[in-house]
Amino acid sequence: MSYLLPHLHSGYAVDQAILSEEDRVVVIRFGQDFDPTCMLMDETLYKAAEKIKNFAVVYLVDIREVPDFNAMYELYDPCTVMFFFRNKHIMVDLGTGNNNKINWAMQDVQEFIDIVETVYRGARKGRGLVVAPKDYSTKYKY
Amino acid sequence: MLNRPPKTFQEPTPEDYVPGRGRGATGFVTNPEYSLRANAAFAAVPDAGAKFGTPPPGYVAGRGRGLGDTRRETLAKQAAAARSFLSQQKEYDDEPVEDEEDVDDGRPLDDEEQGLFANTVYDEDDREADEIYDAVEKRMESRRQRQREERINEELKKYRNENPSLEQQFADLKRGLAQVSEEEWASIPEIGDYRVKKQKLEKYTPVPDSVIESAHKERSFDPSIGTLSSTQGVSTDLASIGEGRGAVLGLKLDRISDSVSGQTVVDPKGYLTELAGMRITSESEIGDIKKARMLLKSVTSTNPKHAPGWIAAARLEEIAGRISDARALITEGCQKCPTSEDVWLEAARLYPQEQAKQVLASAVQRGRVPGSIKIWLQAAAIESDITQKKRILRKALEIIPTSAKLWSAAIELEPPEGARILLSRAVECVPHATELWIALSRLESYENAKVVLNKAREAIPAEPLIWITAAKLEEAHEKEQKQSADNNTSEEYLLNIYLEEMKNDGVRTNVTRIIERAVRTLSMKQQIVDRDRWLKEAKESESGGYYQTARDIIHFSSNLGIEEVDRERIWLSDAETAEKEGYFMCARALFALLVSNFPGRDNLWLRAAHFEKEHGTFMVVDELLRRAVAYCPRAEQLWLLAANEKWRNRDADGARAVLHEAFSSNPGSETIWLEAVALEKQAGELDRARILASRARNSEADSGRVYYKSALLEREAGCAQAERELLEQGISKHPDEPKLWLMLGQWHERQEPPQLEEARNAYTSGLQHCPHCVPLWVSLAHLEERANKWTRARAVLERARQKLPKEDILWEESIWLEERIAKSQRPLHSDQTSTSSMIGKTTASKSALSVLAKALQECPDSGRLWAVAIELESAKQRRARSVDALTRCDRDPHVMIAVARLFWGEHKIEKARSWFRRAVALDSSLGDAWAAWYAFEKQENGESEIKEIETQVESHPPKRGTKWCKVRKDVESVQLTTLQVLEKVAQEFGPLKSF
Repeated sequence: MSYLLPHLHSGYAVDQAILSEEDRVVVIRFGQDFDPTCMLMDETLYKAAEKIKNFAVVYLVDIREVPDFNAMYELYDPCTVMFFFRNKHIMVDLGTGNNNKINWAMQDVQEFIDIVETVYRGARKGRGLVVAPKDYSTKYKY
Repeated sequence: MLNRPPKTFQEPTPEDYVPGRGRGATGFVTNPEYSLRANAAFAAVPDAGAKFGTPPPGYVAGRGRGLGDTRRETLAKQAAAARSFLSQQKEYDDEPVEDEEDVDDGRPLDDEEQGLFANTVYDEDDREADEIYDAVEKRMESRRQRQREERINEELKKYRNENPSLEQQFADLKRGLAQVSEEEWASIPEIGDYRVKKQKLEKYTPVPDSVIESAHKERSFDPSIGTLSSTQGVSTDLASIGEGRGAVLGLKLDRISDSVSGQTVVDPKGYLTELAGMRITSESEIGDIKKARMLLKSVTSTNPKHAPGWIAAARLEEIAGRISDARALITEGCQKCPTSEDVWLEAARLYPQEQAKQVLASAVQRGRVPGSIKIWLQAAAIESDITQKKRILRKALEIIPTSAKLWSAAIELEPPEGARILLSRAVECVPHATELWIALSRLESYENAKVVLNKAREAIPAEPLIWITAAKLEEAHEKEQKQSADNNTSEEYLLNIYLEEMKNDGVRTNVTRIIERAVRTLSMKQQIVDRDRWLKEAKESESGGYYQTARDIIHFSSNLGIEEVDRERIWLSDAETAEKEGYFMCARALFALLVSNFPGRDNLWLRAAHFEKEHGTFMVVDELLRRAVAYCPRAEQLWLLAANEKWRNRDADGARAVLHEAFSSNPGSETIWLEAVALEKQAGELDRARILASRARNSEADSGRVYYKSALLEREAGCAQAERELLEQGISKHPDEPKLWLMLGQWHERQEPPQLEEARNAYTSGLQHCPHCVPLWVSLAHLEERANKWTRARAVLERARQKLPKEDILWEESIWLEERIAKSQRPLHSDQTSTSSMIGKTTASKSALSVLAKALQECPDSGRLWAVAIELESAKQRRARSVDALTRCDRDPHVMIAVARLFWGEHKIEKARSWFRRAVALDSSLGDAWAAWYAFEKQENGESEIKEIETQVESHPPKRGTKWCKVRKDVESVQLTTLQVLEKVAQEFGPLKSF
C-alpha cells in the first residue's frame, strides 16, 4: 500500500516535512517499498493514516534513495518507523530496549494508532520519551 | 488546516544542504557496531571535526567524553545471554511439535484474546478447545521430562555460576553480619526521612472556655474559705504577693542589721544615692525611714568626721519633709567637718537664699576651705545682682588668683573693654590657660593680638592652638586687606591650591610661615603633636572659614610620621574621609598634595578631577585635567574626561582641540578616535565625523569596533549604501566582530522589501564566526519569526541554548516565542479564546509554561526569568510566584519591576512606588525600570516623581534593558531625545493584575 502514502525523495524534503508540521506528529517510515517487512508495515500505516490525520501525518522514505539519515538514525533494519514532533525526535519506550524507533512490522492497526496517540499526547506536554501502552519486549516471543 | 493533503516537498534542494543539520537534528548511538559505521559515514561529510583525525578503533562516540548509558548496555548484554540460553534449550527439544510452532508466532495467545476477541462470549466450543489444548500440553510436558529437567538444571547451574545473583555476591558479607556486636548495631546511624512530604497545615481548634476555666481553678489558690468566690472569674493570688513582699523586706533588714553591727559593709556613697532616690509612697515606708534615720544617726555619732554621713542624714530628713531637722543636722555637720566643701555646699542648698549667703561667707571665713573654687562660684551664683557677683568673684580672685575657672567666670560678666583688662591680668596670673590667651587675642586689635600671641607662645610653647590662632589672625587680616584692594574670585583661589602645590613655592604669606614654624617646632623637633591632631585642627579651621590655614596645616603636617610607601594610601583615604565629612578644602588640599607628589599616576588625577567635578567649578576641573594630561599623556581616560568636560560646557572647539592633542600622544587608541567621532556627531558635523572615522579606519586603531561605529554613523545619517559598504569592508577585515554581522543582517532586514534571505545569510555566517554571541542568535530567531517560520525560529533558539546553556536571555526569548506562537494560533481555536475571555483572565500557553519551567531549572537565579514567570502566571498565582522569585533573587531589578507592577495592579500606590524606587536604585542604567516607573507615575499623576525621573534619566541616560534598547536603537528613533524614548518605552508597561 506504499503507493497510497506520500513519499519524500530527498533529505531536504524530509527536513522540511519535519519542520513544517506545527502541531501534528510526523511519522516517518524509513525502508524500501519492496521489502516484505516494509510491505506489512505500510499496510498498517495506510490503514491508520486516515484515522490519525488530525494529529499525525505519515511519510515514507526510501533509505537507498535518501541515505542521509542512515548513519544519524542507525537505519540498518529493513523497516524503521520514527516519530517527530516540532522538530524533535520523540522516543517511545516499547519495552524492546531500543526506544528510538519501531524496527519491526506492526500488523495491528489499533495498536499502532494507540502508540501514535501516546506520542502525540506526550509530545504536547513536552516529553521527549513516552511509554507505549503495550509492552513489546522479547519475553513474549519465547 | 487539518485536512490538507500531505505535501511531498518537491521543491529543489538548496545547494550545500546537509539533511538533518538544516533543522538542527542530532542523531543517536545505541550500539558500538552501528557507531563505527556511523563514524565512517560522517567522515565523508566535510566537517570541522575532520581536523581531529579518525577515531581509534573501538572508539564509541560520547563514551570517550564520559557520556552514554552503560547501565542499559550491560542490561542488554545480560538479556542477550539469557536469550541465548533459552534458545539453546529449545534446540534440545528433539521433536518439535507442529502445534507448538503454530502457537508460538511471537505473540502470546492471551494478549491476542485481549486485543481481538475481548468482546466475544466464552461458549461451549471454546471450552472444549481449551480442554483439548490443555491435554496436548500435558502430554507434551510428560514426554522426556526427566532428561529435560536434568539438562535444565545443569544449564541453570552453569548460568548461575557465570552470573551470580546479588544475593550470592553478598553472601559472605551477610555471613559476616553474625560477628557484628551489639554496640556496632546500635551505632549504625538512622537514616532520616528524606521523602518530600507536603507540609500539612496544622489545624488549631480553639480550646473550649470550660477547659481553660477548670485549669485555672486547679492552679489558683483560693484565699477565701467559702464557696462563694468560686463564681469570680479571676481571683487575685494575695498569698503569693504577701510572700514576695516579706522576702524583700527580709533582705533589706538583713543588710541593715549587717551595717548596724559596726562594720560598714555598705559604702556610704551608694547609700547616699539610694536614699536620695527614696520617695515616700505609702505608710509602710515610714518604717523604712525610721530604720534609716537610726542607721544614719549611728553613722554620724560613730564617725562624726565623715562628711557624706552628715549629708545623707540631712537629705533623709529633707525627703521625710522635716526641713528644719535637716538644717539642724547639716549645721552640725558643718561644725564637725568644716574642711569638707560638700557639706558647706549642701548647707547652702538647704538654707534659703539669704541665709545661704551667710553660710557660704562663714565657710570661707570661719571654715578652713577658703581655697575652694566651688564655694566661691556657688556664692557668686546665688547672688542675683551683677555688681554683687562681680564683687564676690573679685574677692575670690584675690584669694585664689591662679584659677582659670574663676577668671573666665569673672570675665564673662564684664563688657569687652573691662574683659580685655581683666584678661591681660588673667594671663599674667594664669599663663598656662590657652583659652584665656586666645580670648585675649580676639579682643585685641591686629597688632596687639600679634604681640599677645607671641607672648602666649613663649608661655605655652607646646600648644598648637596658639599657633593656629595666630595663623587665623593673619589670614583674617590678609583677607580684609585684599577685599579692600580687589575682589578676587574664589575660583582662582581654588586653582591656586593646585598650582602652588605643583610649584612647591607658593606666595609665602604670613599664614604659611606661621604654620610652617608651628609644625617644625611642635612636631618635628619635639614630637608633641601628631598628624591626626593636625588634620583635626585643619578641619576645624575650615569649618571656621579659615581656608588658607587649613590648607597650610595639611601641606606641612601631611608628611609627619608616615613611611614613604604609605603616603599615597594614607593621603587618599584621608582625602576621601574629608570629602565624605564635607571638609572640601581639606580634601582639596590633600588631593593637590597627592597629584603633586605623584604626577605620573593617572588614577590619582582622575580621582582629583572627579572630586573637583562634583565640588569645584568647571574652570578648576578643566585646568586640572590640562595638567593631568600633560603629566600622563597615555591615560586615555583623562583625555576623554577632559574632552567631555569641555563638551559639556558647550566648548566644542576646545573639546576638539583636546582630542586633537590626544591623537598626537595616543595615535593607536580607538577609544579616543571613537570619542572624537561621537563628538562631531553630537555637534551635528556629519562630514567631519565621516572624515574622522575614515582616518580612524586607516590609522593604527583599525579594529572591528571602529568599523562598527563608522557604520553606525552612516546608519544614523541615513546613507544606506555607504553603511553597507563599510560593513562589508569591516567584515572582510574583522570577521570576528559580531556587531558587524548583526548590523549587516539588520541592514538587509531594513530594506524595502526586506531581504530576508540575505539577512539570514548574514546572521548564520556571523554565527559561524562567533557562535557565542547571544544577540546574533536572538536576531536570527526574530528573523525566522518575521518570515512566519515559527518552527525554524524555535529550532534556532534550541540550537542556541545548546551552545550557551546557561544564558537566560535565550530562554526568555524562547518563552516569548512560544507565547507569540500560541497567540497567533489562538484565533483558530475559537472556543478556547471565547471561554478564556469570558472568565476574564489571560492564560499563558502551555508550551510557553513548559519552556519556562525548564528555563527556571536551568538558570534558577535569573531575575529575568523570574520576572517572566510572574508575568505569565495566572492572575491568582502571581502573588505566590513573586514571593518565590524574591526568595530566589532578591537583588534583581527585573524582579523588582515585576513586583512593583503587581502592587500597581492592586492599586497599592505607595508600595509600588517604593519597589520601583528600589529597582532603579539597584541598577540605574536599566532603561526598562525607569520606563516602567514613568508609566506608573503617569497613570497615578505623581508630579514630583515624574520630574525626578525625567531629570535623572536626562542626566544619566540609561543604557540597558531589552525594551529600552529596542526603541533606542531603532533607526526611526535616532532623532528622539532620551525623554521621548522614555515615553515610548513606557507605553509597553502596564499594571499586573493579581486577582
